[in-house]
Parts: sequence; structure tokens; C-alpha cells
Amino acid sequence: MHEFKDAGEGGKMKKTILFIIAAGLLFQGCPQEHQENSAADSVTLTLGAYTVPKEVYQKEIIPSFQKMWEEKTGQAVKFEESYIASGAQSRAIVAGFEADIAALSLEQDVDRLQKEGLITHDWKNRKYNGFVTRSIVVIAYRSGNPKNIRGWEDLAREDVDVLYPSPKTSGGAMWDVNAVYGAGLRAGEAVTGKPDPDLAKQLLKSIQKRVKTMDKSGRASVTTFENGIGDALLTYENEALLRQKSGRDFPFLIPEATILIENPIALVDRNVDKHGNREVARAFIDFVLSREAQRHFARYGFRPVDEGISEEFAEEYPKPRLLFDISYLGGWEKVSKEIYGTDGIWTRIIRELADEK
Amino acid sequence: MSDEHRCVELTRSRHRIGQWLLLSFVLIWFFILILTPLIGIIKATFSQGIEAVKSSLATPASMHAFWLTLVITASAVVLNTLFGTILAVVLARQNFKGKLFLESLLDLPFAVSPIVAGFMFILLFGPRGWIGNWFSSLNIKIIYAFPGMLIATLFVTLPFVAREVLPVLREFGPEQEETASTLGASQWQTFWRVTLPSIKWGMAYGVTLTIARSIGEFGAVLVVSGSIINKTQTATLRIHDQFTDFNYAGAFSAALLLAAFSFFLLNIIQYIYKNKGSAST
Amino acid sequence: MKNNRATALAPSEMIPRSLSLFYIGFLIVLPIVAITAEAFKGGLLNLFHQITLPEGLYALKLTFFLALFLALINIVTGTATAWVLVRYSFPFKTFMNALIDIPFAIPTVVTGIMLVLLYGPNSPIGSFFEKQGIEIIFNKPGIILALLFVTFPFAVRSVQPVLMEMEKDMEEAAQTLGASRTTIFFRVILPTLLPSILTGAALSFSRALGEFGSIVIVAGNIPFKTQVASVYIYGEIESANIQSALGTAVVLLFSSFVVLFFLNILQKWSHKHER
Repeated sequence: MHEFKDAGEGGKMKKTILFIIAAGLLFQGCPQEHQENSAADSVTLTLGAYTVPKEVYQKEIIPSFQKMWEEKTGQAVKFEESYIASGAQSRAIVAGFEADIAALSLEQDVDRLQKEGLITHDWKNRKYNGFVTRSIVVIAYRSGNPKNIRGWEDLAREDVDVLYPSPKTSGGAMWDVNAVYGAGLRAGEAVTGKPDPDLAKQLLKSIQKRVKTMDKSGRASVTTFENGIGDALLTYENEALLRQKSGRDFPFLIPEATILIENPIALVDRNVDKHGNREVARAFIDFVLSREAQRHFARYGFRPVDEGISEEFAEEYPKPRLLFDISYLGGWEKVSKEIYGTDGIWTRIIRELADEK
Repeated sequence: MSDEHRCVELTRSRHRIGQWLLLSFVLIWFFILILTPLIGIIKATFSQGIEAVKSSLATPASMHAFWLTLVITASAVVLNTLFGTILAVVLARQNFKGKLFLESLLDLPFAVSPIVAGFMFILLFGPRGWIGNWFSSLNIKIIYAFPGMLIATLFVTLPFVAREVLPVLREFGPEQEETASTLGASQWQTFWRVTLPSIKWGMAYGVTLTIARSIGEFGAVLVVSGSIINKTQTATLRIHDQFTDFNYAGAFSAALLLAAFSFFLLNIIQYIYKNKGSAST
Repeated sequence: MKNNRATALAPSEMIPRSLSLFYIGFLIVLPIVAITAEAFKGGLLNLFHQITLPEGLYALKLTFFLALFLALINIVTGTATAWVLVRYSFPFKTFMNALIDIPFAIPTVVTGIMLVLLYGPNSPIGSFFEKQGIEIIFNKPGIILALLFVTFPFAVRSVQPVLMEMEKDMEEAAQTLGASRTTIFFRVILPTLLPSILTGAALSFSRALGEFGSIVIVAGNIPFKTQVASVYIYGEIESANIQSALGTAVVLLFSSFVVLFFLNILQKWSHKHER
């Protein structure tokens, strides 16, 4: 038999929940109003960045800029920030995320914004070609170097497990594979005077064979490495330095031949015009290229683009003898197709390795 | 002792052993599958001491994230319970062409990978999207804002209530409802006083699952929200942020808080239903 | 049972039905139509080519088999757990009952990391198995483990409410008539439970198909080895191969729909037979 009395309880529950929602929705409305009202003495700048520079932006760059701008104009700058993977951020901005500034990991992620019409000025036609920071690919190993890792060739050994993120899911991870491939080209060059694609492919294949897991992103692979997986990790110098800075034992070596990573920053015209904050946005871009900001970057593990600061930190950031950049491999468009495309070198390597099992 | 008696005793003790075996099996399974990871998370949370836990949870960004999760979850629960129950009643009591088709559609949200789900809603509600186009001309933001996140959460939690209520409704058949109707009860009275109490447990479980799932939702909301700190970051997105910052204690403690919150909420619901409901079995 | 009083078009039936159709239409059908349309944008031939890329095909196969295997395990463990929770009493039962839903409340990313810490090659359990030649984490067993964790509540909670509401009369009547416990179980209880067991299986299966957050951490994501469909699709989206991503997603969707449809028919049939 059913009791008829308990029907009331269900109603009470529903009323409470409805109340919570109403309160929540009201609450949601409030912050928006605030922004509109105090437009004169404050301005909002939205930053769409990749994950890695979050700390330096939040702790140094943004506060310094806010202080500088307030002293200069009396206006307070409120920042809205999002730090997600570079490719995802780029696509989010295309899909409607109204970032005024795009600070991403890969040049092609900013190019995408230009292609879709969000950036209408020539963003590369600027000091340092549109880049704000640099880094290089390095090899991290375990304390005490038990497997005696000295260079790329060691990563191909049977007794070494290698870690790097998947170039498919992490645009930044392409830097790692590019570094290996380019190092192989350099090796061929040392012998015959010309880069050798076959040798490069062989090196890449033998190293890929030693990879047991490919994480979703660069950060994820550092986490996996720190959880005890793998003997060697391919990562960016600034990641390794950041770990060391937070007190972790994170030894790494700089290979003789490795790739120069360059990170772009650009003003997103469409959003800036919509928000009417072009002046502040321009100022921010100028600021990150200033000596003060570059010094902050350098202290957080990034190689500065400013030559003066570069010199100041020359000891911390030695230049690898056989350093190359993406143009050595033919530029991003060529690399995207020829290495990672459906019939690309890396794609074919994966298939070959699967068949060989 | 007669032979018959001995036979019954033997069956009973064999049955007893069977019961013990089943119980042990289930308890071991539960221990390995659920308890071990849970204990692991608890340990990892407090590995750096309680101060680290407090400081990472008390930041404004974290508090905003928890609040956002709460609001989204509450909204999703109300909407999905309402429509889910209606849906279950329609599927159990009505007969029409395409009913089986509709029912199979119901489970699809689970089969959709969260990344794809997020992508779908960007496609639909993004400023260039099918529907989003219209909204953006009205200057209403859907994605990278609260509405989009709610829609994504509604999607991933849609099937729960319906799926839990449906089998109970089917098991029960329409007899009692028809009796009430013959006795003169209106449609609404029948539903409120006959149907609703019988689906009580199913609904409770459905709501439970909706809450837990909505709190834990990550992939779809990540894509649809842009993860804007202090604006569109839910608790799970905040946790992910903490992991990428290598703040493991912060991440695990937030995760534990979420789990604890669900745990208490679920228990409260069960308590209310247990105490105020009829003991029907 | 045919309804004599009103036709199917009575407003009391029409309103809930339209509401249901609208809700499902807006939240499920519309988005799926949108991505299907988007997938077909490049043309049918191109779509076919994108779908049949070897990596994608392997990912689909792997995902389906793992999900199926998982659903079967869940049928047994879920029903057993629900049975124990409803019919037995033991210490900490309420506590255990409350914890069943924990997997839902824990963000999948945390699940993944915790599993790696517990069963990874550097853990006591993981290294033990590794010596026997069994790789748990970064291989298929790890994927199954993660899936078991996230689908456990489905398996249990689908059966539990039905068990709770089940009238004991039938069982008691059968018992009085002298039927053995096994007979009662297989001829009275199981048929009643079968529809809900199948529901739990369907839910576990579907969830396993779409799971991403935990798997991307424990699986290793090596193409042709441990890369499941959801990770593959994610990779394709990230490398701007939208067609192949959506194409594979659509294939996944439609095939899971077929399986669910089939399971629902099975359920309907078993339900009819039970009465």
C-alpha cells in the first residue's frame, strides 16, 4: 500500500533546489553589472594563453603591468585569464572566446587567428617577429643519471624508456619530435655535409620505439615522469627550470643539436575593437617585450627575445652548438604535412612499429 | 535427526556458505575497485599537511569554482528530474511509433566522448553556430559562459533519472494508476499520489547519479567554457588547473572535497527518502 | 492492454509526449545532427577515406571490444553487489552503499592519476604484475580497470531499485510450493531483474565507449595498441583533422545507437516473457 502523505516532501525538496538556482543565477548576474558601471576608471583585458607561462604571467607580468598602467594613466586594469593548451586556446578564440591578447605556444596557432580574420594586422611585423619568449627542447633524466644518458643516441637504447607527449594531442609536443628529427638531420650533416632524412627517420623511429606512453600534453608528461615512469623525458627547458625552481630535483641535459622554440604573442583585432581597449592591449604587448618583463621571463626559465637581457642571462642559457629552428625543417606548413600528416614521416613510423610487433 | 531434517540442514548450510562466498566476493571487489583508489586520494590530499589543503581551497578562484559547480548541478538536477520523469512516464505508459527509437536515443549521451559533446555544442551555440548565430546578434553569450556550461552538463546527465525511473515504472505496470483513475482521481492526482511514490527509489537514485555525475563532469565543460579563471571554471576545471600547476595537494584536496560533498548530499537524500517514505517492501 | 477511454491523441498524453520529444530533440538529436552534417561537409567519399584510416579503425575496434568485455563483467559484479546490498545485512553496509556512487563524483582526471600511482610500474602491485609479464597500466588491463571504476555505479544502481521494490510474495509462494533456492532464483528473480540488468549493461557499455579523462592517463595512448576511439578523436581535433574526428565520432555514435537499440529490444522481449 502506498501512503499518500509523502507527496509533500518531494515538493519541499524541489522548492529548496529552485531557490538555490534562483540565488545562483542572480549571483551570476552581479559581476557583469559591475564591469559596465565603472568603465571610466577601470578597463578589462582578456588574456588567452597556453598553460606553461601561467605562473610568470600571474605572479609577475600582470601585476607589474597593472602597476605601470595605473601610475601612467590612473586607470585600473582588470584581467580575465584563461590558460589552456595552445591549440585548444587558438580554436576557442576562433570559436568565440573574446581574448584581446593571444599568447600561444606555436606560431601556427596565432596564424590560425589571422586566417580566420580575427587578426587583421601583420602581427609578425614587429620587434622580434611577433615572438615574446624562447626555449629549447632538453632531455630530463633521473637523479644521479643511473642509465647514463648523454645524448639522443642513448634514447634509442633497449634499456631506456622514453617519455614525451603525443604530437597529435599536443601541438607543443611537436617541438619534441621536431627536435629529434632535426638532430638526426644535423647528425647526417656532420658526416656528409648535407642533412640526411633517412638517418633522421631512423633516429626518430628508434626513439619512438622506446616510448611506452604518450600523454595528452607536455605538462601531463612531466607529471607522469615525476610519478616514476620512464628513464628519460623530452621536455622544454622552461618546464625543467620551473620544476627546479620549485625545489624539485629535475636534472636535464642540453643536447648539442636541438630545436629553438619560439612563442608568439599578438593582439586580437576583432575583440579589441569590440571591447574598445586597443590602447591598453597595445601597451600590454609593448610591455611584455620591455626589458622589465623580459627579465621576469628569464627568471622563470624562459629564454628572452630581448638581446640585452639575453646577454645578461647568457650563463643560465647556454646556446647549443648545433641549434636550429623550424625553418631548418622547412617551416611549420611543410612540417605539419610531411612529418605529422596522414602520410607523414612520424605517422608512417607509428604504423611500421605496429606492424613489426 | 531425521533424514529429511538433515537434508534441510545441509541445504541450509550450503546456502549459508554460498551467501558468505557471495558477500566476500562483493566486499573484495568493492575494496579493490572503490576503496583502494579512494584511500589513495585521501592519503595524497593530506600528504603535505592540512595547511596546504586549507590554503589551496580557500583562494577566491577555488571558492568561485565550487560555487559555480553547485549552481550548475542544482539546475541540472531540477531540469533533468523534471523532464526525465516525464520522459520515463511517456516511455513506460504510452505506446507510439518510434518509442523504441526514442528510448535508444536516451542512452546516447553516455556514448558520446566529452570532447565530442563539447565540440557539438560549440558547433551549435558558438557565435558562428546554427543557433548561436541568432543569440550572438542579441549579444547573449552561450558558450564561454554559464548557459553553455549548463547545456553541456544537461546533456551528459540527461539519461540518469529517466533510466532509473523507467524500469521501476515498467515493473509496476499501470494497474494501480488505472484503479485510481477509475475511482475518480484526476490525471495530476494520479501522478502525484500513485505514480510518484512508487518511483521514489528510482528517482532518488537517478537524482543521486545526476548530482554525482554533474559534479564530476570535466571534458565537455572544459571545451565549452574556455576555463576562464574566476568566471567559467568549475571545480573539476579548477582541479585540472591545479594539476597542470603541479599543485598536487591542491588538486587532490579539491577532488576529495567534491567527493565528500557528493557523499553527504547523497546520504541526506537517502535519509529523507528513507524516513519520510513508505516502507513498501 | 488496449485503452478504451481515450485515443492516443488525448491532451493528457500529448503534452508529456511533446515535452519529452522536445527535450530529447533539442539536447540530443539536434547536436548529433549538427556534427553529422559537419562530418559530411567534405563529401561522402572524403568522409569514407577519413573514417577508414588504419589508426581510426583500430581505435574503434579496440573501444568496442573493451566496452563489451566490461559490460559483461559489470553484469555479474553489479548484480552481485546490488543483491548483497538489498538482501543481506552486514556491518558498514550503509557506508558501502553510500560509497557506490563515488566514482561519479571523482573527476576522471583524478581517477586516472590515482590508478597510475596505485597500479603503475613503480607501485608495489604494478611491479609485482610486471615481473609476471603482465602490464596493467599503459596497457589494456589498465583501461579495463579505469572503465570498471567509472561504470560501477551504473551496474549496481540499475538493479538495486528494482530489487528493492520486488515483491517477495512470488518468491515466498514458490518456496511454499517446494521450489529450491536455485530454481526460485533462475525462474522467478532473474527474469524480473533481467531488464534492469540489461539496462545496467547498456549504460556501462555506452559510458565505456565515451570515457576519456581517466583513460588518456592510464592507457598510454599508443596507436594500434592502447589508443581508444575517444583519445583518437581528441587527437584528430587537436591536429585540426576535423573531418576524420567527426567521422569517427559519428561512426561510434551510430554503432552504439544500434547496440542500444538491440539491447532495448532484448529488454522488451524479456519483459514480455516474464509476465
